[in-house]
Parts: sequence; C-alpha cells; structure tokens
Amino acid sequence: MKKINGLLAAAAVMLVLSAAIGSAWGYFTTFVEVRGGHALKLGSRTEIDEGFSDWTKRVSITSKPDSVPVYIRAKAFCGSEYQLTYNDENKKWTLGEDDYYYYSDILYGGQKTEELLIKIGNIPEDADVKDSEHFNVVVIYESTPVLYDKDGKPYPDWNAKLTTGNVEGGSN
Amino acid sequence: MKGTRRSGKSQIVTIAIFVLAVGLLLFSSIGGARAALNYFSDVYESRAQTQDIGVTLIENGIEVSNRDYKYNREMERADGTWDENAGTLLAGMLKEGEELKLGYQYAEELKVKNSGTIPQYVRVSIYKYWVDQEGEKLQELSPDLIELNLNLDDWLLDESAATKERTVLYYSKELAIDSESQPFADGLTISTVVANRVAQNVEIEGSHQNLTTVYEYDGVRFIVDVKVDAIQNHNIEDAAWSEWGRRVTVNNGTLSLQ
Repeated sequence: MKKINGLLAAAAVMLVLSAAIGSAWGYFTTFVEVRGGHALKLGSRTEIDEGFSDWTKRVSITSKPDSVPVYIRAKAFCGSEYQLTYNDENKKWTLGEDDYYYYSDILYGGQKTEELLIKIGNIPEDADVKDSEHFNVVVIYESTPVLYDKDGKPYPDWNAKLTTGNVEGGSN
Repeated sequence: MKGTRRSGKSQIVTIAIFVLAVGLLLFSSIGGARAALNYFSDVYESRAQTQDIGVTLIENGIEVSNRDYKYNREMERADGTWDENAGTLLAGMLKEGEELKLGYQYAEELKVKNSGTIPQYVRVSIYKYWVDQEGEKLQELSPDLIELNLNLDDWLLDESAATKERTVLYYSKELAIDSESQPFADGLTISTVVANRVAQNVEIEGSHQNLTTVYEYDGVRFIVDVKVDAIQNHNIEDAAWSEWGRRVTVNNGTLSLQ
C-alpha cells in the first residue's frame, strides 16, 4: 500500500510540473537580430608651398595622402603701400565677398591645388627683388572638410566652430 | 484496527491529492490551448504547418536575416529546428574603399516580412551607438548623430521604452503570411556635427604643456542594431503581455499601445 501511495504522489508531482511546461509553450514567437556599421575618418593635413619670382608670389596647397577631402581658401596681406593682384591660369581661384580666394575643386588626399599667383605692384625703385620678406606680403590659407547635403551635393561650412567635449589629462 | 483506519485515511488523502493534480493539469492545459489558439477546426487540425512562425528583416529590398520554424513536409509536422540566416546590416552602404559622406542621406529602407505560416504581429527595437576600434561601446559619443530616418506610417513609437540609444516600434497591423510591412526606416545620415566635435589632450612636460586637438569621432565606428520580434496573432493581447511585457489592445486587427 505504501508503494502505491508513493507512486501516486510521484505521479501527482510530475503532472503538476508538466503543467508548467505546457504554459511555457503557450505562444509562438520568433526573433531576428542584425547589426552593422562603418568607421569614420576625419581630420586633414595640408601644407602651403610658396615661390617668388618676377614680383609674384606663387602659392599652392598640398593635401597629405591620408587626409579627408577638403575645401581651400586663401588670401594675402601686405602693407598699404603695395598693391596685390590675384590671378591663376585656369580660373580655379575665385574672389569671395570676404576677400578670400576660394579654390573651386575639392582637394582630395594627395592632391595639390593649382597655383594662385599674387603679383605685387607699386614696388619701390630701390627694392631688392631677391628678398621677398622685405615686402611683408603674408599669405594665409584655411581648409575645411567637405560636407554633403541630404541629396549628396558637397559644400563647405566656413562658419563651423569646433566644440570640445571631454578633456583628457588636463582641465577645461 | 487503528492502524488500518489510519492507513485507509492516508490512502484517501493521497488519492484526493492525485485527483487534484489531474484537475490542475486539465485546467492548465485548457489555459495553454486557449493561449495558443482561439479556434480549432478540422481543417486547422489537418494542417500542421500553420504552427510555423518565421520572420525576416528586409534591407533595401534584400532579405538580410531570417529565423523561421522549420516544417518537415515529409513528416508533415514541424521538426523542432529553426531555419536561421544571419546577415550584416549596412553591408552595401559603401563601395569598397569609399569614404562615408557626412550629411548625405544613404538609402536604408528597412521592413519586416512574415516568413512563417501563421499571421503575426511584430515589433522592432533599434539600437544606435558608437564603438572604438576594439569594438568597445563609447558611451560618451552621441547616438543622436546617427540619424535613422524613421517612417511611422502604420508603426507606433513606444515612447515609454525610448532612450537616446534605443527606439522601439510596434507595427499596428497584423502581418499576413508572406506579406511585408510598411518600411519603418528609409534613410541613414551621419550628422555633419561630428566634423566639429574635437577633444583636447593636454600633456605636461616639465614647465610647459602640450595641447593636442583631435577629432572625437575620428576612427570610431557607428553601429545600427535592429532586432525584430514576431508573435502569433492568436490571443495577441495576452501573448504580447506574456512574451513582450507590453500591454496592447487589438481592435479589428489594429494594434494600439496602452
């Protein structure tokens, strides 16, 4: 009799446990998960090449091979006694409203701009043509990364301001 | 005599417990059956494949990943295995060697297909984040700059589940067998703001310090992770609460969030 009682009790436990299995299988579900992404490359390294001959500064800007595509603009400063005239062979440099000359093409990594010719006028008669520093003509240039609108049209943002977030190894 | 009476009582108690257990089992079985199916007909009984559930994610017209319960046609029953294919999202976004264009909206049409043999309801969970070159998540970089253009036609945004990193959408319609949902996204843009974000590293050398400015997002990788959950259409309100932990209401086949 004890044996029968034991079997009945065991069977009861199994039945109750199997009820839990039944509820776990109650709903049909499935799922699928997929992910992906790409790395960003930012930053550019450019350098200016300047030559001087025939009272003319010849300026070009080179982008390092690992640089992202950039836009370039440049302008020159000099004393008020001189007169500067800008020119270039293929009309790639265009005067903007802010007196900068803008290079029309995107400069990709490893490329070089065409020369911007800056002719110095109103030269003093006793000037030494071999010493351009005496003329105090300084050329500055800027680069900015190429951005795109939603349709893929490239544009520069010359008014972009860099913002800092975290600072490592120092204080703000 | 006393012992016999006690033994008889014990047997009665045991039998009573056994009967109770059988009763509990029967009730719970009824519950389970109700949960799985609201109707049961001869026709349904003769078609075992109606129990197969399956779901597929479609990216720009291509099935990138699926997980379908497998039906064995020879044995005329599901054989307990899954047909799974796991692809990679955004694999066709850039050509080989092509750099990502900041601000450009890349085509990224995402939708769901019912690849099973029962009607279903679906939801998608979208995660956006940045990782470093070792694949470690970068919590300090903003998921907002990964702009997935959502299409909320027929999709419900679960604002209670939304975070900067996660977006959860529920499809308001029942997804019929072999049918596709409306797209829940149609474009992906990496914001031009990433080009303006820099960090400054300061290194102190003796009496002077060197300040180096670096782009915060240079070299990091953006990730879009999409998970699709599918659930049977039968008894959907209880099923969604049980399996998804979300209270929903369904009226005339249209799902709404509570």
